[in-house]
Amino acid sequence: MTRGRRRSAWNYLFLAPYLSIFLVFLVIPLLFGLWISFQEYELARKAGDVPQFIGLRNYNDALHDDYFWKALWVTTKFVIFSVPITIISALLISVGIESIRGKREQAYRVAIFLPTMITISVAGILWRWFYNSEFGVFNAILPVKVPWLLTPNWAMTSTIIMTLWWTVGGPVVILLAGLKQIPEAYYEAASIDGAVGWRKFFFVTLPLLRNVLLFVTVISVIGAWQIFGQPFIMTAGGPERGTLVLVLYIYAQAFNNFHMGYGAAMSWLLFLIIVVFSVIQFRVMRER
Amino acid sequence: MTYRLRLLAILHLALSLCILSVTSCDRSSSTVHSPVKLRFWNGFTGPDGRTMLALVKQFNESNPDIYVTMQRMDWGLYYNKLFVAGIGGRAPEVFVVHADSLARFTRANFVRPVDDLVGKNGIVDPSDFDENVWHATERDGKHWAVPLDIHLLGMFYNRAMFRKAGIVDAKGEPKPPTNREEFIDDLRKLKGINGPDSWGFVYTWQRTNVYTAIRQNGGDMFNADHTKTTINSPQNVEALQWCADLVLKEKLAPAPQDFDAWVGFLQGKVGIAFEGIYMLPDLRKQDGKLDYAAAPVPLLFKQPAAWANSHSLCLRANLSGPELEAAKRFVKFLSDHTLDWAAAGQIPVRKSLRASERFQHMNEQREFAKEIPYAAYFPAVPYNFEYMTEYEYGIEKALRGSQTPQQALDSAAVKITRIMNRFNGDSGATP
Repeated sequence: MTRGRRRSAWNYLFLAPYLSIFLVFLVIPLLFGLWISFQEYELARKAGDVPQFIGLRNYNDALHDDYFWKALWVTTKFVIFSVPITIISALLISVGIESIRGKREQAYRVAIFLPTMITISVAGILWRWFYNSEFGVFNAILPVKVPWLLTPNWAMTSTIIMTLWWTVGGPVVILLAGLKQIPEAYYEAASIDGAVGWRKFFFVTLPLLRNVLLFVTVISVIGAWQIFGQPFIMTAGGPERGTLVLVLYIYAQAFNNFHMGYGAAMSWLLFLIIVVFSVIQFRVMRER
Repeated sequence: MTYRLRLLAILHLALSLCILSVTSCDRSSSTVHSPVKLRFWNGFTGPDGRTMLALVKQFNESNPDIYVTMQRMDWGLYYNKLFVAGIGGRAPEVFVVHADSLARFTRANFVRPVDDLVGKNGIVDPSDFDENVWHATERDGKHWAVPLDIHLLGMFYNRAMFRKAGIVDAKGEPKPPTNREEFIDDLRKLKGINGPDSWGFVYTWQRTNVYTAIRQNGGDMFNADHTKTTINSPQNVEALQWCADLVLKEKLAPAPQDFDAWVGFLQGKVGIAFEGIYMLPDLRKQDGKLDYAAAPVPLLFKQPAAWANSHSLCLRANLSGPELEAAKRFVKFLSDHTLDWAAAGQIPVRKSLRASERFQHMNEQREFAKEIPYAAYFPAVPYNFEYMTEYEYGIEKALRGSQTPQQALDSAAVKITRIMNRFNGDSGATP
């Protein structure tokens, strides 16, 4: 055995615990999902029925299902609004925190990151109570009665606000790490050239943060397409399907109505959408 | 160096193997007289779960030859776990299914009929049940489950608010409404009585509130033999119109918010709510800060009706031998002890138990039990989950005023017809 081969054998041995879990809980279910997406796979099937291979019918059904398109549109709206708001907020917050020195920086960092540590079930129930238009805390404080979760558009807005609070900590921490990597010397050089305040931010910070920003954006977009917990807990997709995002619809079809094959097909359609978006993002941000 | 590495690797491997096998490690129990093991699954995750656990413990102590283990999970997860287990042939021996979901399970052959187990000397005597309740677990001429309880929709009202609004009888006691005129009149008096955000009535669970109205108006979801949906029938449209008018025209109820509106009742800002008896533990938690009482739902339309459902005890299909004998004893035990179960916020289904002295002291349950003769179960169809989504979408649109009741129910009818065709046409695929 050559040295190289021996090393790689050892590598696999070390990776084995992770790889086995990765394989059993991710790769195999993924492929199984692909397999059943070509079948009429009913969990609650009639006695004696077996899943039938039906080719692309599930995919075709999805493309002719108006609820699928509605869910796709709702999800798109969420991605379009939620991601830029989250990224811009994260950037501003991280630059703000970076400018603070000493112990207070730590405190702010913890405060911003803390909501991310809360599970969605807890955060969701908490915010559902906050948002309650008759008896919630927001409307008790505000002078006007806001229909937070009562109309489709407000429910979407409320979901975006809650998502910002809940998820902004992750990008902030990553961006902070990126900011710390920018050598002080660049800022000094910029100062000597006469750059101040915002100019430093636009001509030094942003270009040097590009890779980190790309990473954070891609992760956020992927996460946003897969939004589930927030509407699942806060609105159950309502009112009037106004927050029935794609994953929630997939869940409803697969796990409430037991149409597993159909759910799997829609999941793969969502996967394709995410892949396309990620590729576009990489292209666009790399070329600049 | 290599030796150390190897040692590390072996340790690593041993550790991961141990983690993987840990689930199988704790199953090494061997008793000399191994009792018959029964698995009992249900969705009782609230205070009702604690009561049920105590009953199971009591059963295990008094029946040393049987050992029941109970597993409970949220109702939302429960049914699909049950299906996965059923398909894999690992269904529990005894499990709970709601009466209106039973058709889905009998169709999949997961459930054993209990006709041969009931009767004068069987687990239970059918004559001890009200006919409509017993009928709710019947299908295709067979009886599939033993109803454990009946949870009816009833009226909870805030006595303090009633007094403040002057809705009292001759003796000065708060007087709950019994018909539509009194109901509307009371809502007018109650609105704003405890501040600008207080209401006479709120819609909590739209599904059950509206269904009660529909059934009171003589309507239903399907025709008698379930071959056609009647969801957009004139009676249903009329009932839904009245429900929507309460919010949109009369402004006597806020826009519906489902369970969150219930919080308003707990906070003493809502005079009347139509809710299930299972909300009782929630009310009792208020520690006397909320002066409430229960009464039957008023007669709002042509005939009395109140939504109801039953937790029903099912046996796994093909259950036989000692397991069947054990399951029979367990089901009988639970059915005999439903007064304990009822204390947690349920109503016993057996007439003999309701006649007991103890039940007469359960004030709220006793009031709700008056509705049993006209208990209105959702039709037990195998596509219950699918049509329910369309029904809820429809009534939500109407109650919010984004569509008229006619439009909302018409489009629900189109979707439901499509669902029915699929189910009847083939094994039931996608939308």
